[in-house]
Amino acid sequence: MPSVTFEHVRKRFGDSTVVEDFDLVVADGELLVLVGGSGSGKSTILRMVAGLEEVTSGTIRIDQRDVTALPPRERDVAMVFQDYGLYPHMTVRENLSLGLRLRKIPRQEIDRRVTWAAGMLGLASLLDRKPKQLSGGQRQRVAMGRAMVREPKVFLFDEPLSNLDAGLRAQMRIEIGGLQRRLKTTTIYVTHDQVEAMTLGDRIVVLADGRIQQIGRPIDLYRAPVNRFVAGFIGTPPMNFVEGTLRENNGQAVFITEGLSIGVPREKTLTANPTQSLTLGIRPEDLRVESSAAQSVDDGSSAGVLRGRVVLVERLGGTSHVHFDVAGGGSRMMASVSNDRLPIVGETIVVRVPPERVHLFGADGRAIGRTAEIV
Amino acid sequence: MKQLRRIALYAGLTIAAITFIYPFLWMASATFKPAAEAGSLALIPHDITLDNYRTMWARAPFGRALVNSTFVATTITLAVLVFGSMTAYAMARLNFRGRPALNAATIAVLMVPGQLTLIPLYTLIVQLGWIDTYAALIVPYLFNATAILMLRQFFLQIPQSLIDSARMDGMSEPRILFTIFWPLSKPVLSIVAIFTFMGAWNEVLWPLLVVREQNLMTLPQLLTVFALGGGAGTVGVSLASAMVLVVPVVIAYMFLQRNFIESMAGSGIKG
Repeated sequence: MPSVTFEHVRKRFGDSTVVEDFDLVVADGELLVLVGGSGSGKSTILRMVAGLEEVTSGTIRIDQRDVTALPPRERDVAMVFQDYGLYPHMTVRENLSLGLRLRKIPRQEIDRRVTWAAGMLGLASLLDRKPKQLSGGQRQRVAMGRAMVREPKVFLFDEPLSNLDAGLRAQMRIEIGGLQRRLKTTTIYVTHDQVEAMTLGDRIVVLADGRIQQIGRPIDLYRAPVNRFVAGFIGTPPMNFVEGTLRENNGQAVFITEGLSIGVPREKTLTANPTQSLTLGIRPEDLRVESSAAQSVDDGSSAGVLRGRVVLVERLGGTSHVHFDVAGGGSRMMASVSNDRLPIVGETIVVRVPPERVHLFGADGRAIGRTAEIV
Repeated sequence: MKQLRRIALYAGLTIAAITFIYPFLWMASATFKPAAEAGSLALIPHDITLDNYRTMWARAPFGRALVNSTFVATTITLAVLVFGSMTAYAMARLNFRGRPALNAATIAVLMVPGQLTLIPLYTLIVQLGWIDTYAALIVPYLFNATAILMLRQFFLQIPQSLIDSARMDGMSEPRILFTIFWPLSKPVLSIVAIFTFMGAWNEVLWPLLVVREQNLMTLPQLLTVFALGGGAGTVGVSLASAMVLVVPVVIAYMFLQRNFIESMAGSGIKG
């Protein structure tokens, strides 16, 4: 049964459209992540579900009930805010219980839920403190507790981790994921951080300029981005892009750019016209760096090999990022390599581009050969 | 050398402090002096007497005026706080058509000097038949543009997520204002309260215009009529009536002083 349904939802602020024709069904118990840059409309969508922002046109349903015109309190949703939104003049206990008291829930039931949430989140000893006396992570937990005690149909998270430092963020990310799996409450989670999106989401919706770019499981977005935006957005470090053209060569499609020519599998070029100008995308972790240029390389090889001069090596510990300029061309690329054989700056390296890992995008940014999956 | 400079500094400050406090102390002490001694500059009277207060109380209804003033000033202060914060909340945090115009209009009101509206306002009160009523003293002061703007400025700094949380928790807008915004706005509310109260308490001109009935007169009004009208007779009696006027304001200030200082120290409301 669908839990939250969007039907042609649009939102305009004055003359500018922030959300355009948003159609989506969130399944019961699912953790759906809305991800995008600033101005993509992701927070606005969340606030429309919450009832904090009016819908310009379209319908939002929660459990099949049309809630489009209902005020927040009648929607049975709870929200966790980026800066927590805790009442500074109230204790943790009061913060947790206020929403229940306003709903005239019996005293004993309130106590039961507060105790339950505080226990689950490790807040039991902090109930009589004020928010000011808590650390960032503790405030974050109180904000989550306040949503939990409401026992709502839907949880809404609006960039809940962006005020925390990196270590705490990773820890809270795991906690949120674990909590959601235990409670099995339908959750819509907004973030600009694609790592959060990849690790938390059952499904991810990638947004740009108020439009859905792609919906899918994290791994699908990673493996088969439908356009250049999604390809560049999902995955760290980001995908390399090289401009070039496609040619026919002895019955095989060959992508040609300065310093590289690479035969591309048939199924990836189905929708491309020969001689069309294209963008090739390849993830840093898919590039194979083969050290010295001493090895003889067959330049015309369809295996796709290029030479590059190393300009920077970033050592991250487990892996390192090798930045290099493609020989014979202006483009700079990056390869992610394991540490056992690191080139040095200035060295000329040979980089193998596996044809099956290559993504091709047309001039309009759409992935070529994947039209069927484009949303 | 350092020591010397310090002494000089403190001497200077002490003199400055005395020049501020001496007239007030002298006034206070003069009210307890018999008529013969009233002109002396000494702070401690030779013969302490309450005659000045007795005379004052006997000659004009100062008790009644005290009640009138308290009632009028308190009502105005409460109204300015309640209506002012409601208006400020709407102007700061709600979206509605005409909000920028309302903001501009509120600021424009500040630029109109009170003397300019005095006569039209008086005519209006006459037409309403409100001469010699509390309404004439209170109604024109129920809203105050300065208070609205001060509150609005403060309300703008309260994080949006608090309002959002409160709405999600099921609060109505008035409830958000009075149970979330008010507790967080104590410093600015106290400042507005004390300025409004003092302004209302000290107002003389307007009551003189709209109230002629002695039993409805406010304290400063009665005092003016009494002292200027020659009713006081002696300096001591005049000053005694001035004391009655000043003491409540000083007490009110002392009560609110803590919040006053707090607000100047700045309040971290980040939650």
